[in-house]
Amino acid sequence: MSSKDLSETIKSVLSDEDDVRTATAPYQAEFPYERDEEAQVTRREFCNFLGLTSAALFVGAAGFAAKAAIDARESVSHPAAAIAGAETLAPNTSLNFSYPTERDSAILVRAIDGSYHAYGQKCTHLSCPVYYSREHHQLECPCHEGAFDAATGNVLYGPPPRALDAIELEVRDGQVWAIGRNASEPNRG
Amino acid sequence: MKPLDRRTKTGQTAVWQARLIMLVMINIAQLWILAATVDAALARHYSVLAPLVVASGVCFVITVSIIKWWRPTSRRKTSTGYVREDR
Repeated sequence: MSSKDLSETIKSVLSDEDDVRTATAPYQAEFPYERDEEAQVTRREFCNFLGLTSAALFVGAAGFAAKAAIDARESVSHPAAAIAGAETLAPNTSLNFSYPTERDSAILVRAIDGSYHAYGQKCTHLSCPVYYSREHHQLECPCHEGAFDAATGNVLYGPPPRALDAIELEVRDGQVWAIGRNASEPNRG
Repeated sequence: MKPLDRRTKTGQTAVWQARLIMLVMINIAQLWILAATVDAALARHYSVLAPLVVASGVCFVITVSIIKWWRPTSRRKTSTGYVREDR
């Protein structure tokens, strides 16, 4: 680019700046501020800003970890609840229920051998409700084709990162009771 | 104080740019670490929380060291107090 072109470019840019200043002059009168100083952020200031951001991110991470550690120490006990209709459930079928609260959906599976297993119904991938596949004898997620073992709740394949929440069961006088709910782990042993 | 020559100013600019780039990269890494920490905390994966917090702390320490101790080499006095001779 020749010096003539460069000088013409500079002139046109400066004239644009003058035009903007002229157009915003009434607003400048009402809300005056130093335009030139406002536009300048020094490298030092930006570096300091990044340092503060780094500190904030570190404090945030430490805060979340501390809260999780405190929550882990609190043992949460859920009251036992009878699962209606569990005794009449046929083998290789499932039953939906809620435990420990109405908002916590769960699924009870009666395996082919007659044993009962219960899990939280939320898929650990993106919380879609899982269903029991009688054909494959496993719990499947319809959203992203994940699957869980009906006996352990472990991930068989697909995107889910960890096993389903396990619900502890107890048979009392022929009736099936849910007595506790355990958070999921990467995969149970 | 002697006015800075062109090479000195170019060197200072390079150091400042390097600092900014490194700080931005470290901030982005800390954002990832924070997202992983939140995910692990909500999923109750307590075993990975400590390493994540340590990693974030290391990033913060590196950030502080870059801000506090990195200096353009053209300055007459170094961060350790050594006084260079005039050219």
